[in-house]
Amino acid sequence: MKYFAPSTVEEAAGLLAQPNTKVFAGATDVIPQIRAGRPEPDALVDLKKIDRLVSVQRTDATWVIGAATPTTRLTGNAELVAEFPGLVEAAGLIGSDQVQSRSSLGGNLCNASPAADSVPAMVINSARAVIATANGGTRTVAVEDVPVGPGRTTLAPGEFVVEIEIDRPPARTGDAYLRLTPRTEMDIAVVGAGVRVTLDESGTVTDARVALGAVAPTVVRVTAAEAALIGSKLDDVALAAAAAAASAACNPIDDKRGTIAYRTHVAGVLTRRAAVIAGQRAAEKNGASR
Amino acid sequence: MAHVHFSAGLRSGFTGGVAELVVEAATVGALIRALDERFPGIGEKLSSGTSVAIDGEIIPDAEFESLSATAEVHFLETIGGG
Amino acid sequence: MTIAEDPATTSPGYKWVGTRMIRPDGFEKVTGRARFGADIKLNGMLYGHVLRSPHAHATIVSIDTSEAEKMAGVRAVITGADFPDPSGPAGDQDLQRNVIAREKALYEGHTIAAVAAQTRAQAKAAAEAIKVVYEVLPHVMSVDEAMAPGAPLLHPKLMTKGVDPAPTEPSNVASRAVYQGGDLDLGFAESDVVVEGTFTTKPVHQGYIEPHAAVADTTPNGRTTLWCSSQGHFTMRSLSAKVLGWEPSKLKVIPAEIGGGFGGKTTIYLEPLAVRLSQKAGRPVKLVMSRDEVFRATGPASGTKIVGKLGFKNDGTMVAGELWMAYEAGAFAGSPAGAGSMTALAPYTVPNFLIEGFDVVVNKPKVAAYRAPGAPMSSFAVESLIDEAAKKLGIDPIDIRLKNAVTEGCTATYGPKFPRIGFVETLEAIKNHPNYQIPLGPNQGRGVASGFWFNAGLNSSATVHVNEDGNVIVVTGSPDIGGSRASMALMAAEEFGIDAARIQPVVGDTESVGYNDQTGGSRTTLATGAAVIEACRKVIADLRGRAAKQWDVALEKVEWVDGQAQHVEGTQPPLSLADLARGWNRTGGPLTASAALNARGVGSAFSTQVVDLEIDPDTGHVTVLRYLTAQDAGRAIHPSYVEGQLQGGVVQGIGWALNEEYIFDRNGKMENPGFLDYRIPVASDMPMIDTIVVEVPNPGHPYGVRGVGEVGIVPPLAAVANAVDDAVSRRIRDLPLSPVRILDAILNKDS
Repeated sequence: MKYFAPSTVEEAAGLLAQPNTKVFAGATDVIPQIRAGRPEPDALVDLKKIDRLVSVQRTDATWVIGAATPTTRLTGNAELVAEFPGLVEAAGLIGSDQVQSRSSLGGNLCNASPAADSVPAMVINSARAVIATANGGTRTVAVEDVPVGPGRTTLAPGEFVVEIEIDRPPARTGDAYLRLTPRTEMDIAVVGAGVRVTLDESGTVTDARVALGAVAPTVVRVTAAEAALIGSKLDDVALAAAAAAASAACNPIDDKRGTIAYRTHVAGVLTRRAAVIAGQRAAEKNGASR
Repeated sequence: MAHVHFSAGLRSGFTGGVAELVVEAATVGALIRALDERFPGIGEKLSSGTSVAIDGEIIPDAEFESLSATAEVHFLETIGGG
Repeated sequence: MTIAEDPATTSPGYKWVGTRMIRPDGFEKVTGRARFGADIKLNGMLYGHVLRSPHAHATIVSIDTSEAEKMAGVRAVITGADFPDPSGPAGDQDLQRNVIAREKALYEGHTIAAVAAQTRAQAKAAAEAIKVVYEVLPHVMSVDEAMAPGAPLLHPKLMTKGVDPAPTEPSNVASRAVYQGGDLDLGFAESDVVVEGTFTTKPVHQGYIEPHAAVADTTPNGRTTLWCSSQGHFTMRSLSAKVLGWEPSKLKVIPAEIGGGFGGKTTIYLEPLAVRLSQKAGRPVKLVMSRDEVFRATGPASGTKIVGKLGFKNDGTMVAGELWMAYEAGAFAGSPAGAGSMTALAPYTVPNFLIEGFDVVVNKPKVAAYRAPGAPMSSFAVESLIDEAAKKLGIDPIDIRLKNAVTEGCTATYGPKFPRIGFVETLEAIKNHPNYQIPLGPNQGRGVASGFWFNAGLNSSATVHVNEDGNVIVVTGSPDIGGSRASMALMAAEEFGIDAARIQPVVGDTESVGYNDQTGGSRTTLATGAAVIEACRKVIADLRGRAAKQWDVALEKVEWVDGQAQHVEGTQPPLSLADLARGWNRTGGPLTASAALNARGVGSAFSTQVVDLEIDPDTGHVTVLRYLTAQDAGRAIHPSYVEGQLQGGVVQGIGWALNEEYIFDRNGKMENPGFLDYRIPVASDMPMIDTIVVEVPNPGHPYGVRGVGEVGIVPPLAAVANAVDDAVSRRIRDLPLSPVRILDAILNKDS
């Protein structure tokens, strides 16, 4: 197994165009997988030496986060935390403090585990993935269009995610991500729920996004739950309807981590709780965020 | 002299229901031999995989342990620790 | 931690025993210098890889190693044919067959063959090139399946022992243990309240962080050195010799530091494989298990099914107890059903009882010891039923146990009378602690349970040397898994009357010290400690004699006080250890003595525990709020390490109760052989475990020591289940109490 550490996106694209190569960023999934017996690639291409892949920038309109940026640089970024507390807390749930000094949004997205914690949180924030293509350019897609099934993505051979773009939220917007794990750390979501709401001055929801993880082969966007929240003041009736919609949208399996019945029930519970937290955070953000 | 108590397993398997017995024996080994004469086959069972409790103290490898005039003797399964 | 002294004894005023010295092995361990089994490197060393059965049950039709032997870097390949045919008592044969399969593969992960090569990758590739033809057989994965009529049999000649009349047909039931007293029917007829239920527990792993590792180096004259981390290198020597067909003396075993054992490292897995590979290759061979292998191919604790029934009078007196218990042994006979039968009702005076424990083979890894083996499962059933009775009768759970608690002179359900014990003291310690009065909020519950364990004595040897500079070396053969080197140093310091920093405790290999049984069974501080104390006293007697010679006085005129020889009339200046060591060639030679014993005076242990937890009623998630354990430790030689043993047993018991289980698929393959999905608790899951060490000294030991390592794991299973019932009014009798199971119980009240 060879190791390469290119310093530009073009160089990396050229290396990854070779057969049987793998992206090596935080490697918090790659290394355990190789140790567990997955076939070793011929080469690992380390993206962490490319500045663009590990930088965090903010323009007036948009955050641009390098796909290989370690999570600790997100949890330690006070402005990012203030604008997207749910996204950062989702990334901050993965593994442990030690893992987060290496793990990244790009890695979490492209590993394409149904239980990935940052993916529902990116989806509710309409995040986009900027992908380096084999011919030296880039293409940009919604993050939910990257994973297609457990361990599988829509990335063509040689492609890799360069950056995650997230537009800065409007005023009075809050997001939240909750997950159910039996242990407090070092665990994998049995169910994950992300909710983002935007409120008007009267506290009525004008926009809502709801996404679930670990209840289907890929992240599930629950438009019916969103509809139940929009136009409400996050009262009990609306929350109950959103929870029911979340449960109905699940397509989980019985496996060693949870039953269908459990995941379905808890998806509704966590959606409701996340909506309440998102609403509280939105209400606290009275002033414009730009 | 030993006042021997038999567990339920020994009662049904070897002593035909006899639960207690007073036996003249100076050591545990002599006791086991004496019991084997009375209940053929019990000697092998008591010699392997069995510990002895004498007056409440569990003693493995008790063959040469002496028995006082009033010793209370129980035979127990050997227990493993972890 | 608080230490509650037994008011019946006076404080002995020790200078070293009872203090918290820094453990002698601490610096090396925290700086990464400590050498564990996998750290050993030798010149020319080869790396081994084990080929394991992918099937839960299969006949091995043929094994073709010819391709593997030709592959790059390969220096040796072994199969069962490289070992003597299994012989000796049934238990020895089972061990031989477990280390490497012969006729059959009996569980997924069973060792089929092994390869030694120049690199790990080469060894692995070669192992995968070994062609094995299996005839897959149907498998049984539970006691119900194994005991069903017509069940596929693991061992065609296994006839159940302990059943009268003896069976004529083989089965999967290896043996039956039975304990009985009084008249059960009468007892239940007299009962005002009867509680009953069927309980199940799953196999759980001891969870040691360090995987098994062994390095073997055979010289051409056949003598072999083996490095391994284990709970007893003398035991590794004798067990390995049985599998290899050798005299034990051909093997020298050197102990490495060990990263956890808890009972799981008291037997052999890799060691004979490493030795045989080394013999064939003519080079040293290292074998290290992966985490996956640790789960699939070492020895978990038994899964169980227990049907229990208890009868009480209205005032809480227990009058009848009946238990039918089946323990999974794994692929070979030898579950702790017997011990579980003996401990289940041991804490209580119950006049009428019948306890049956069945040892049942199933197509899972052969079980090994795990802290108080057998006791946690039977206690889970008994302590849950006591809780149910207490609730029905409106009696406090501690009071109902006090009402029936055994004390000195009571007859145990397993036969003998109890000597001086500390059970009542542990119950009172919990009852009188402020934690027991803390008010609980919504969805919170409190659970109490108690437990008992025998503790062991067994064989230990120790050698004590005084160096020329007056410092002391204490050599034992007990691997240090819980701070025992510190305890040996403290006891030796107390005996000599010198600073514990001047004592160097060492774990010697099998050629450097006399025989020592394993470190386990809560025996080391007691038995090895007793050998150390005896050896110290021999040296001190010798020192007094040397002083007497120097002063030309009778021995009676010399006493040993505070680290020096003193003339009883004060007519000579005292002589220190260093003084006497300096002159040793003039007074008789070097200063050294050994002691060896089969320890007597073992004190058993009781534990009572209370847990407060909170349940999220919408997700079934459990948060442990508070945990308090009280245990009679006799005397805490090193309080921090006693505390550590109490806390460790509790945390393992909580994991067993809440989330740990072996999960198998329909093909008998383990689905969760890793710490992601085998959920032992992480540090953030636990509150600080509060401990009360009740010191009821054991009259059988010079410092009053009772073993402490094991009993702590016995009560948590029921304590947690009782707290869950208290929190959400659901009695759950199947472990683990995962969020899925608890939420199901909350939502489906009537099922």
